[in-house]
Amino acid sequence: MATLRLHSLTGAREEIPTPSFVSNPRMLSPSFHCNKKRVSRRMTVNAMGGGAKYKGTLMREKQLTEMIEKKVTEAKQVCEGDETSDECKVAWDEVEEVSQAKADLRLRLEVEKKDPLESFCQENPETEECKVYEDW
Amino acid sequence: MAVSTLYTTQALNSACSISTPAKTHVGFHQKQVVFYRRSSKRVGGGGSGVITCSAGDSQTVVIGLAADSGCGKSTFMRRLTSVFGGAAEPPKGGNPDSNTLISDTTTVICLDDYHSLDRTGRKEKGVTALDPRANDFDLMYEQVKALKSGIAVDKPIYNHVTGLLDPPELIKPPKILVIEGLHPMFDDRVRDLLDFSIYLDISNEVKFAWKIQRDMAERGHSLESIKASIEARKPDFDAYIDPQKQYADAVIEVLPTQLIPDDNEGKVLRVRLIMKEGVENFSPVYLFDEGSTISWIPCGRKLTCSYPGIKFHYGPDTYFGNEVSILEMDGQFDRLDELIYVESHLSNISTKFYGEVTQQMLKHADFPGSNNGTGLFQTIVGLKIRDLYEQITSSKAAAPLEATKA
Repeated sequence: MATLRLHSLTGAREEIPTPSFVSNPRMLSPSFHCNKKRVSRRMTVNAMGGGAKYKGTLMREKQLTEMIEKKVTEAKQVCEGDETSDECKVAWDEVEEVSQAKADLRLRLEVEKKDPLESFCQENPETEECKVYEDW
Repeated sequence: MAVSTLYTTQALNSACSISTPAKTHVGFHQKQVVFYRRSSKRVGGGGSGVITCSAGDSQTVVIGLAADSGCGKSTFMRRLTSVFGGAAEPPKGGNPDSNTLISDTTTVICLDDYHSLDRTGRKEKGVTALDPRANDFDLMYEQVKALKSGIAVDKPIYNHVTGLLDPPELIKPPKILVIEGLHPMFDDRVRDLLDFSIYLDISNEVKFAWKIQRDMAERGHSLESIKASIEARKPDFDAYIDPQKQYADAVIEVLPTQLIPDDNEGKVLRVRLIMKEGVENFSPVYLFDEGSTISWIPCGRKLTCSYPGIKFHYGPDTYFGNEVSILEMDGQFDRLDELIYVESHLSNISTKFYGEVTQQMLKHADFPGSNNGTGLFQTIVGLKIRDLYEQITSSKAAAPLEATKA
């Protein structure tokens, strides 16, 4: 179950429980990302940790999602000829690698509630990667 | 030349082997002056306030964990580091895509960092990450050996997002070094450096069920693609990874349950802890009577369990020609009292107090496997490793662990 924390500009915080997905907490449907995005630049780091996502992390998530799709398509194409070929094995191995990387990121964010860029962004809050995005 | 660098250590029990960051290899003893402020929170039993640094005289204990589930972020790793105290975090301020985890006592290194070929390189050569040709075992051996002897290393970083090899990060020798990945026991030189080794053996049916849970919500994935990925990797897996289990001191085998006929959801699991006999500093866990064969269903008059219940088995066996003891649990824990009941009947679990296993399991109740044998045995193995560590370090007459306990 994922819970969103709203950070309004006044600093007040509310928690909105999101629909819970029954099985593995790692699973989060991509349709969860809503259309509205509100960008707020905050100079102070959220002392509670977790919740707020940095732009860099969101971009990585997006990148991984696209890579999974792309590599599955590639693998299917490559394996059409010969399923036992080296190219086919390597293609599916790449799918596994990016799938696991995405799952690890999801786990970090949802279960551990820590953005992997947390400590990096504490040191470098002005970088592009460290802009804070708020998803609803 | 006098170099004074000031380091702040978070806790008294952070790794004392401070090395100069400028150069990686510290081959000689340096005088270190350590300023510390004793934490008022700590209620120590007769703390003498002595810190013994083991620069050069390091007792880094090295644990190998073979797993096909990504690096360092696996549940097992988190349970393990939790047993030693503290949460393992990626190195602060370094490459955010680092696979390394560092806690007060433990450093977990991902063996993917020793890939000799990045994603493009592997594609060109037609080798998967499972293939030994994609990995630099010479470097792996050199660096693990260095860390074990108390020398810091500049370890490469394999970036799983970009598929590239990033600039190295400095790894300082910890008290406990865990090397996790696909090939910790593949190279015999590396294998000889391990003080303890574990192999996580997930059966095909369970692997399939877990990968479905992991991937089904991803755009691009379907039941077919998940299946195809597992099938395509299987030949390399069977050839290069699976054979390592014969070398492991402990194998955690995860199978589908036998309690529910035709169960294919992979939710209720049968987990077997296969422990090698005769391993130094490691005494296998047993049920009731060591060396005998026991079948035990704890649910009955004293303990009520809900469906499908819990079933234990214990007994001696042979595994790839080695004498082993196998402790097996099939089923699920539903309530706290089931867990504590089971814990009270297990022997040789190396707990420091009654209920420690239960407490550790509760601490991470949200981790996968917290209600079945995977969580239970991972926690127990964690405690056995702590015990092993204490035996090794006390036998080398180092600073007692008491002085460094979190």
